[in-house]
Amino acid sequence: MNLLASKDDLIRWLDSLLQERIVIAPVRVQEQTMFQPISKVEEIAFDFDNTTLSPKGWFLPPTEALFTVQRDDGQVNLVPALVERDAVVFGLHPCDARGIALMDSSFLQEPSDALYRERRSRTALIGLACRQALPECFCTSMGSAPDDPSHMDILLTEVKDGYIVQVVTEKGKALVPKGLAKYKGKVPTPPKLQAIPTMEVTSAMRGLFNDPYWERLADRCLHCNVCAYVCPTCYCFDVRDYSDKGKVERVRSWESCQSPGFSLTAGGYAPRTTKGERLRQRFSHKFLYFPERFRDVACVGCGRCVKACPVNIDIREVISDLQQLTEVKSGS
Amino acid sequence: MDMELIQQIRDKARNLLEEGTVEGVIGYERASDGLTARPFFAYEPAAAERLIFDETCIHDLVKYLLDKKGKKMAIVVKPCDSRAINLLLNEEQIKRDKVFIIGVSCPGVVETSWNRRSETLQARCRTCQLSKPLVYDFLVGREVARQAEEETYSDITEAKAIANKEEFWLEQFGRCIRCYACRQVCPGCYCPVCFAERLEPLWVGIRIAPEENRVWQTMRTFHLAGRCIGCNECERVCPVDIPLSLLNRKLEKDVKELFAFQAGLDPEESPPFATFKKDEKLEFGA
Repeated sequence: MNLLASKDDLIRWLDSLLQERIVIAPVRVQEQTMFQPISKVEEIAFDFDNTTLSPKGWFLPPTEALFTVQRDDGQVNLVPALVERDAVVFGLHPCDARGIALMDSSFLQEPSDALYRERRSRTALIGLACRQALPECFCTSMGSAPDDPSHMDILLTEVKDGYIVQVVTEKGKALVPKGLAKYKGKVPTPPKLQAIPTMEVTSAMRGLFNDPYWERLADRCLHCNVCAYVCPTCYCFDVRDYSDKGKVERVRSWESCQSPGFSLTAGGYAPRTTKGERLRQRFSHKFLYFPERFRDVACVGCGRCVKACPVNIDIREVISDLQQLTEVKSGS
Repeated sequence: MDMELIQQIRDKARNLLEEGTVEGVIGYERASDGLTARPFFAYEPAAAERLIFDETCIHDLVKYLLDKKGKKMAIVVKPCDSRAINLLLNEEQIKRDKVFIIGVSCPGVVETSWNRRSETLQARCRTCQLSKPLVYDFLVGREVARQAEEETYSDITEAKAIANKEEFWLEQFGRCIRCYACRQVCPGCYCPVCFAERLEPLWVGIRIAPEENRVWQTMRTFHLAGRCIGCNECERVCPVDIPLSLLNRKLEKDVKELFAFQAGLDPEESPPFATFKKDEKLEFGA
């Protein structure tokens, strides 16, 4: 059953959520829109296309302490980091919710990641259906859609009189304010997206592991970490201990398979030394290793990497190249 | 688009590949948005047909030469990019006889990002004095007298007036996600192991947080003092819009005033911080 919240209802609702929880919402920062914890509802940018970074940073922060070890009176104590408050991520699009669901596959499988699990269970997702498809969007080719309520707790769709409130989960139900009217109008048609062919991308990946394609593609790749850091499903991290006067903090930070040091091991061996091998790893993780373990490909079609890559490595083009190369190879 | 100029580039590239003078040609092709440009590597003569050149060819391609050491490569070079060639020649990172430079007389480039191009010239182009590359083997395009604006560093003067600089820069650096795109694109950043990744000595940790980001950005800037050639690629590729040109241009201005030096103008002249003169004045803290 759908409800209707006027813009004023929504603002009051968010304001009441803010009294009890941390609210992470899109905020305008200079030319960009970023997900940030807000201190008042007025900070929220309701009118935005897409955020520069996905909301994954709430669940896997760019940097966080995992635990600290302290020496007190001859005793050594390990103090794990705690998630102290409930939260709401507001305004995420369906592709981003799918991204979080894909991260769950990895982080919530046993043994699960304690901090991620805590944040995930204490955070509700109140999403926004997309009003328009951007030129870089291809979510419908990656198992999502501009109006897809899956993986959300509540999905809002903007209409003339406010927002249609679609309650998806029990967690969402508990958050909906009382007294909202039923929505009896039409649900707007979602924007149309250009579909890209995604057939057999996993087997194409497998067949082209040793293809010179990767070194050629890597020619123009800068091997920065932009694509991985803007990606809603890239979740690799580095861990380091910081010690200071008898206190040690174990910290993890985002890291990506594109850095030369990423796969460097003690003793100096690195399994992926060339740029091509590193770039292949990124696409292999998304289209081969991840689906082999968790069924789905690890791309949601948000288009952030397409937009952010300084040298236009376009994941849609890579998919189509892989398909063409496979066809050529099989002589079909 | 100047089709005549593009044809000159394509013809030259094809010839070089056919004759086997070079193993590959580094230039530009149309990006996937159909609107802007992206770097392109042609290895077969037929691939030369994909090369383009227009005001969206903003990338400084010279950095790519470092990936192709030992191979003879041809490269499309704008006047501004030729300063990167000189920098790398001076610092002995590339060998002149391993590079065939297709120089392009450039009327300036515009601001672009994916699926977007502006109509106005980039700020650095408005003050650019170079009508043709400083070094080349083959020149394409018509050399036009430039009507360059005077370099006044008004952005630096404005930045100087920022009331609380500490707060301003911590906020800017607070957005940094340590993606290292600035470093990766920079022709002057080529250390085999960057200080940001060194464990011994440990210069900066892995925290993506304002204080450590500041250490990272400040050290990188200083490492480029007197070496930055002003291509502004770092600012272009920054996904969170940190105004890196303010830092680089401040140092460029200081080095110009203190040492009458600009990086990359002459391959024979080393940057001030790469030279030592016995009779140099040392007035630290004066």
